[in-house]
Amino acid sequence: MKRFNSTLGRIAIVASLVLFVVLWVGMVVAGVTGGETEYQLTTLQPQGPFSTLIDNLVAPVFIIAGVVFVGVLGAIFYIIMKYREKGDPELDLTPMPKQTHGHTAAEITWTAIPAAILAVVAVLTAVTILDLSAEEPDSVQVEVFGQQWWWGYRYDVNNDGRFDSDSDVETSTELVIPVGRPVQLSVTSNDVIHSFWIPALNGKRDAVPGMVSPWKLQADEPGVYRGQCTEFCGLSHANMRMLVRAIPAEDFDRWVADQQKPAPEPVTEAEKAGLSEWKNNCGSCHLIDGVNNQQLAENPAALVSGIAPNLTHLMSRGTFAGSIYNLHYPNKVGNDQPFGATCTRDTLADCGDPADVALAGNPDNPVYRPALEAWLRNAPAMKPMAPDQGRGMPNLGLTQDQIDVIVAYLETLK
Amino acid sequence: MFDPEVGKGVEAFHPTHDTNTGISNTKLAMWLFLGSECLLFGGLITTYLVYKYPLPGQGPGPQDVFDIPFTSASSFVLLMSSLTMVLAVSAIERGDHHRLRAWLVATALLGSAFVAGQVYEFTAFYNEGLGFTTSRFSSAFYGLTGFHGVHVTVGIIMLVSMLLLSLRGKLPEHKAESVEIVGLYWHFVDLVWILIFAVVYLIP
Amino acid sequence: MTVTDAPLELTSGDEPPRRTLGVFARPTASTGWRSWFTSVDHKKIGVMYGATALFFFIIGGVEALLIRAQLWAPRGTLLNADQYNQVFTMHGTTMIFLVVMPIGAAFANYLMPLQIGARDVAFPRINAFSFWAFLAGGIFLNSSWFLGGGADGGWFMYAPNSTVTFSPSNGIDFWNIGLLITGIASLTGAVNLIVTVLNMRAPGMTLMKMPVFTWMTLVSQFLLLFAIPVLTSAQFLLLFDRNFDAAFFDVAKGGQPLLWEHLFWIFGHPEVYLMILPAFGLVSDILPVFSRKPIFGYTFIVFSGVAIGFMGWGVWAHHMFVSGIGPVSVLVFSLATMFIAVPTGVKILNWTATMVGGKIKLTAPMLFCIGLITMFTIGGLSGVTHSVAPADTQQTDTYYIVAHFHYVLFGGAFFGFMAGFYFYWPKVFGYLLNEKLGKANFWLMFVGFNLTFGPMHVLGLQGMSRRIYTYDAGYGFEFWNRLATIGAFLLASSIALFIFNIFYSKSKAKNLPNPGPDPWDARTIEWMIPSPTPVYNFDPVPTVERLDDFWYRKYGETEDGRLVRIASTEEVTQSAEGEHNVHLPSPSYWPLVAAIGLPIIGWGLIFTWWLCLIGGLLTAGALYAWALEPPDDPEAGHDHHPHEGSAPEGEVAVSDAETDEAGADREVETVG
Repeated sequence: MKRFNSTLGRIAIVASLVLFVVLWVGMVVAGVTGGETEYQLTTLQPQGPFSTLIDNLVAPVFIIAGVVFVGVLGAIFYIIMKYREKGDPELDLTPMPKQTHGHTAAEITWTAIPAAILAVVAVLTAVTILDLSAEEPDSVQVEVFGQQWWWGYRYDVNNDGRFDSDSDVETSTELVIPVGRPVQLSVTSNDVIHSFWIPALNGKRDAVPGMVSPWKLQADEPGVYRGQCTEFCGLSHANMRMLVRAIPAEDFDRWVADQQKPAPEPVTEAEKAGLSEWKNNCGSCHLIDGVNNQQLAENPAALVSGIAPNLTHLMSRGTFAGSIYNLHYPNKVGNDQPFGATCTRDTLADCGDPADVALAGNPDNPVYRPALEAWLRNAPAMKPMAPDQGRGMPNLGLTQDQIDVIVAYLETLK
Repeated sequence: MFDPEVGKGVEAFHPTHDTNTGISNTKLAMWLFLGSECLLFGGLITTYLVYKYPLPGQGPGPQDVFDIPFTSASSFVLLMSSLTMVLAVSAIERGDHHRLRAWLVATALLGSAFVAGQVYEFTAFYNEGLGFTTSRFSSAFYGLTGFHGVHVTVGIIMLVSMLLLSLRGKLPEHKAESVEIVGLYWHFVDLVWILIFAVVYLIP
Repeated sequence: MTVTDAPLELTSGDEPPRRTLGVFARPTASTGWRSWFTSVDHKKIGVMYGATALFFFIIGGVEALLIRAQLWAPRGTLLNADQYNQVFTMHGTTMIFLVVMPIGAAFANYLMPLQIGARDVAFPRINAFSFWAFLAGGIFLNSSWFLGGGADGGWFMYAPNSTVTFSPSNGIDFWNIGLLITGIASLTGAVNLIVTVLNMRAPGMTLMKMPVFTWMTLVSQFLLLFAIPVLTSAQFLLLFDRNFDAAFFDVAKGGQPLLWEHLFWIFGHPEVYLMILPAFGLVSDILPVFSRKPIFGYTFIVFSGVAIGFMGWGVWAHHMFVSGIGPVSVLVFSLATMFIAVPTGVKILNWTATMVGGKIKLTAPMLFCIGLITMFTIGGLSGVTHSVAPADTQQTDTYYIVAHFHYVLFGGAFFGFMAGFYFYWPKVFGYLLNEKLGKANFWLMFVGFNLTFGPMHVLGLQGMSRRIYTYDAGYGFEFWNRLATIGAFLLASSIALFIFNIFYSKSKAKNLPNPGPDPWDARTIEWMIPSPTPVYNFDPVPTVERLDDFWYRKYGETEDGRLVRIASTEEVTQSAEGEHNVHLPSPSYWPLVAAIGLPIIGWGLIFTWWLCLIGGLLTAGALYAWALEPPDDPEAGHDHHPHEGSAPEGEVAVSDAETDEAGADREVETVG
């Protein structure tokens, strides 16, 4: 029985150690290869010059850390196997080990070597920090502001250093940038601290109320890049996501020109009814440029953060509600082209599954009405918010008829 | 360093009463406590430095309300109380209980005068429109100076306790150290005030 | 408040018979469940710290399991967003303030006086007060669950998210006031323990002959002494903002959110080191015992600990690399953070070198020590990767950080504490924990721990944010989250096994002989005395001649470093037999009563002012009674003043007379 126990114990120990090794090897494999899969938030697959800068800095640090990790753990394992007391201690006649109290030269060596390695890392780190904080010439200027629980963006189109001139553009939830050109961000917040983070394009920067922090992005390839608020910001922190659409420069110019236009006039009866319902139910918080500027200027939204998302060009976005729901049908898996229809109302099967929010809605695909209607029916059920405290959208108690006409109107806001 | 002889000389230590450092436990504890207090005031003084001026249009600023001559006078009063505190300690060390009581009373009175001055000052500021919630400056100002005022008040309570003990004959000479320890606290509170006075009132 | 207690008294030799009643004839004072409420014995207080911390550990552990269960699959529905936010906030707060810190305090209270050969701590009643205030704070904090919900701002409680506008429930008030109460406990405890180490060492025990655990206690209590007031100052600001409408963090009035961040992390980073250092100390004392070699480079171990203590003050802003503090600050703090890895690395290498050439006994405590060294190495290395500030902009506030600090605090601190539990259990309770179960406990914990927190590295690097109650499928999070959840339940079962082991071993111990003073062939002087430790600790107090004094009473060392037995263990240990006329401080109700008043003031601040009045009167009254109470005998008049003329030696008589006077008329200073 005793022998059986000790065999069982030995098996358990070996199994534990094997599991430990397998886990760590698996994690390293996932770390090395994980970036090549389609995981849109991964930090391991940089898609722009700034994230590449970080990646180039951290990769050797990971390697050094890995070597030290294997070295120290291997050494400890070896030492234990070599010097452990073997056999029955009662019968053990080997003398007590030699008593060593220390070795100053060894101490100095193993103080100096890590310090020297770290000194090298320190120099590289210093260079990278300065590179990352340098101003980029010829950059697109965008003010990024976080609120509970979505992001807004203001483009300084005329480069006058302000983000609220007439020709400037305001949008929300999705940031559209030109490929290959640096985007200089001025990150701030309208309520609590948030953190703006597009892992593929750069590290993160906190959005601190009362403070404007510079940050920058640049994408090498057209595509959709995802982000997630990373500073805990209250109830729906998990539902505060970002989405960047990087498009070729000429497309970007066209996009800006579109955004500068005011909202179109409603045409059909349903659209007209929708506009009036919208004004009554939504216009006290949301802004549609050319519709309720006056109203909001006189009676600012009763929200802690001051504003709700700007809806002027709502339908130019693929997602809504902090990018946690698809406003349009997404492309099929594997196609991350930010714009350009891939299906029509009649060929929805050519699009991806709109309920799968890992696939970002494509603004040129048909509107995915179920999510939008559900949102209008009862927004707090779709995303935890605190509307009674002026933070988030309340349940407006709309009837299906009201919802239908509002959606009809919203669909015109290209 | 593992020389077995090294320990031998230490036998001379009294095994029970003497402390290793030669400083009594209570006094050492007070020193440590005051060290900790430095950081507490450090946090509040930093806060004040950050919030020294209100945002424009949010109530009076420091230059609008401060009455430097008045506060200088009350600061002088507090400083003098340190002198009387020293005299109290020296009196009990000499065994002069009458003087001890006199100087304790003097110290407590000077401290009370300072606190009274602070109450007056707060009232005056409040009447000039500087409430606790008015601006970041007012919150930081009342927070810091009020916190110091509470410390002075606690010091006064300690002084009065010493006085009562002495009057009941429970403060013999060999316990002079307890007066000294109260003195340590009192001097600390004074010192902190000098810093606060300079930071809050004098440095523009 | 600081209340003075007389120095503790030892009288040796024969006393008149009535004297023996002085301590031992008071059953209500030293035995029975009532005695725990009034005890000022550092050992009982240490045990209570440990038991309370384990209780809160279970609460915090259940919170952790709720978090892991919620994250088992995408879009988990076990908890809603609000509940999840409360649970992770309270998990962090509980584990830091009510588990890791108090377990450190438990070991410090129980062991440190034994390691330095002291009779008790410098201020026994303040020690009792520290414990009760800690417990009161912990109960107050957790009472929020029944009074409107827990705090929901994260343990770091960044303003302005923690102001009334953004968190109108009372949860954050409970957090704020609860931690102010535990802060009082920590502060009084720190003063007490530092004075004890500096002033009350046995004759001959110079600082550089102190066991490493005592050294690390000293360093960590200094960190506590200076870190807690910074948090307190920040908490005052938050208290004024939340409860009295001040403008400290009101951005509309120019409030600066970064002020809170700075103050919090000036506290928060030393806090990290003060949590880990006691465990380092335990390992440094246990490792040599089971390697049968002295600690390698004692001086370097000690001074690297001190260096960590100092450098820990210069790295706080590495928690704020992405907050927008500017590239120069980022650079400075990034470099400072890298170099704090050096003293930590020195410790790891010294521990490793201690084992080299030894004769390693792989007992349960030894396994946990090795667990600490290896797991902390991982935590330290991941720490280096985010000291590189640009890398940190990708890693911070992701699960990578969660992995990092759990490797440091669970893999580091808690494994060290487990080693301490298994090692010191016989000294504290008089029976050994079952070794087989102990080893199983280690391996289960080792596997569960790595399965829980290892995958979080991958999750973080794949971009999973911290503090999110939900995530979506398709980002590569599903598999690793599932693994982590399985690991968490394994980890919980290892804790259950530990608790089972306690009761199992206790029931078996009835039929086993007492393990004796020195079951492990240990090195430090606390193993000279009987197990469990007698109430008076040492009699007589040993004179210490060198580091590991007890070891060198048993063994001599030849010139070439071979060990020679010079005395049997029985010859050099102390016996519980015979009379021990040791004069000890007496129990008191007042520390308990004074502590009870504190949470009542807290509930008053939140709900209704008259509770403040009741609590304030209770605390003030207790302090007053405390002041008037003689420190060394509640049964005044009964059999007291035994020293007069009866002390055997002149030398002792002098000191006794002094103490007696001190006892007869206690003076009290109320400070702060």
